[in-house]
Amino acid sequence: MRTQNATAYRFLTPYLLIFAIFWIWPIISSFIISFQATRTVPWRFAPAFNWGRLIGDPAFYNALKNTLLILVIQVPVMIALAIVMAVLLNSPLLKARGLYRFAFFAPVVVGEVAYSAVFRLMFSLDFGIVNKLLESVGLAKIDWFSNVTPAMALIMIAVTWRWAGYNAIIILAGLQSIPEDVYEAATLDRVSRVKQFFHITLPLLKPVIVFCAVLSIIGTMQLFTEPFLITERGGPGGGTETLGLLLYRQGFRSLNFGYASAVAYTMAGLAIAITLVQLWLMREPK
Amino acid sequence: MAAVTLTNVVKRFGTFEVVHGANIDIADGEFIVFVGPSGCGKSTLLRMIAGLEDISGGDIAIAGKVMNDVEPADRGIAMVFQSYALYPHMTVEQNLSFGLRMNGNPKADTDRRVKRAAEILRIDELMQRRPKQLSGGQRQRVAIGRAIVREPQVFLFDEPLSNLDAELRVQMRVEISRLHKELGVTMIYVTHDQTEAMTLADRIVVLKAGNVEQIGAPLDLYDDPANRFVAGFIGSPKMNFLSAKVVETTNSAAIIELAHHGGTRLRKPLCETFPALGAEVVLGVRPEHFFEAGEGDCDIPVKADVAEHLGSVSYVYANAGPEELIVEREASRQRASGDHFTVSIKAERSLLFDKAGARIR
Repeated sequence: MRTQNATAYRFLTPYLLIFAIFWIWPIISSFIISFQATRTVPWRFAPAFNWGRLIGDPAFYNALKNTLLILVIQVPVMIALAIVMAVLLNSPLLKARGLYRFAFFAPVVVGEVAYSAVFRLMFSLDFGIVNKLLESVGLAKIDWFSNVTPAMALIMIAVTWRWAGYNAIIILAGLQSIPEDVYEAATLDRVSRVKQFFHITLPLLKPVIVFCAVLSIIGTMQLFTEPFLITERGGPGGGTETLGLLLYRQGFRSLNFGYASAVAYTMAGLAIAITLVQLWLMREPK
Repeated sequence: MAAVTLTNVVKRFGTFEVVHGANIDIADGEFIVFVGPSGCGKSTLLRMIAGLEDISGGDIAIAGKVMNDVEPADRGIAMVFQSYALYPHMTVEQNLSFGLRMNGNPKADTDRRVKRAAEILRIDELMQRRPKQLSGGQRQRVAIGRAIVREPQVFLFDEPLSNLDAELRVQMRVEISRLHKELGVTMIYVTHDQTEAMTLADRIVVLKAGNVEQIGAPLDLYDDPANRFVAGFIGSPKMNFLSAKVVETTNSAAIIELAHHGGTRLRKPLCETFPALGAEVVLGVRPEHFFEAGEGDCDIPVKADVAEHLGSVSYVYANAGPEELIVEREASRQRASGDHFTVSIKAERSLLFDKAGARIR
């Protein structure tokens, strides 16, 4: 058995080496870097330098506030929308079901730069279709990119558009794993469709919904593309700057890797903490 | 309690007809079993009675009222599913009371019904458990309990024991039989297992490819099947069929010659139908109706292939020319593999069928 294990590890060595060098070491290294002052040459060990700055940095709190705001509003709305979409996609009355499934999943496949460019065009103040539609129903056009609230709304709309279908497909798989005869039993028990949804479908979907929520929380904590590309690097005036964007700004524009690493570890810690709370709240009763 | 009447009931899926005009009268309080091989339409028929499948033609009446367009919940029926169909996230107690709670039934009445069902099925101890914490037999009891709390006029069972092991199946069979006696309501039970059908039913409906082949009491079907299919399906081990040809007819009998047994002839008394001279026929003999050499009306030599010893009896799988026969023997007359022996057939303990499978009486 020991010989077999040794052989297996020899085969695994190339992968383990790459994994150690490009995954494990950066994780450890960035943790060490977060305790170093990296804007001096050479870097020096100064534990309070980055972490102390983090605690008092208004830019960090702004990014944290923006990220949590998106998390609290966008994730529940997107999950609710995904559930509705999954239920509709699962309906036997729906024609061309495969086409709809593809259409809902397609945003994930579209390149981020391409979809961001299209969103910028759609929401453009003077030429965008969204403002044209608003004007056509008698509403005032909105300057989506110059005001903080519309800009945040735009980020949430874009993220929801991109990921709702993806979550809907995962929830659809969960829906299809619920046996049909459970619903038949409920029908015989004179339980209406609406009550069946709330008392049977939703509780049985709980594990899948928790899974989607955890994925979405992790994704939102790392949100970068949309505020970078659509609202032009977290604009207006840092109004849509997220933790991911702050990390990028500090690490790759200011080349302050120590502070960027501290932000990265904060993001990871927050994602883990929120996910644990989420799992605890949604735990199965004993 | 209620009688159930099926009149010319037809079911089509698209253009494909799966039930071809079923006519069945089920008396009030009767235990009736639909039995047949897979795909014969028995579950479809049950689901049509439940209202879970639309009826393509004909009428289904419960307690004299045509139910074709009545909602499943308003038909006065309760159904026990093959897969139990328990709500996995609810406790046993919640499973039993769910339907009543959702319909605003008074709590006191709900509690009374749940308690009664739990007592009848002896599941009081399990009330706070969830389905995944129960054994197969316990789950099936809960599923039956959920049907009991509805206090239905008709119970429908869709192969309820097929997911249980052999020992538990026997135990639950007895329980369902006891339940029928205790509640006295009409029960319609679907199974592909003829042993379940024989042991539970007041009457059996034998189905094949969407047609009702025969309806009757278990022993009537066993002793007097309408055709070769029923004869072969009812009884375990199944009936033996020997090819034969009519070589002589009189006004009260046909003399047949067994095809593969060296010209062995048997005089089979008949009273209703008389086959034509030279017609190919099939002689049906149940395993227990092979007698010792010389005791019957004709003898055939066989060679034992495999013997199954069950204690009180043995089943000998024997070759008789190209035909394989199953012969029941008392334990004291066991045969070992390779033994040559002779069995005897009595005309009055055998059945005659024409080539198409219809009974010749």
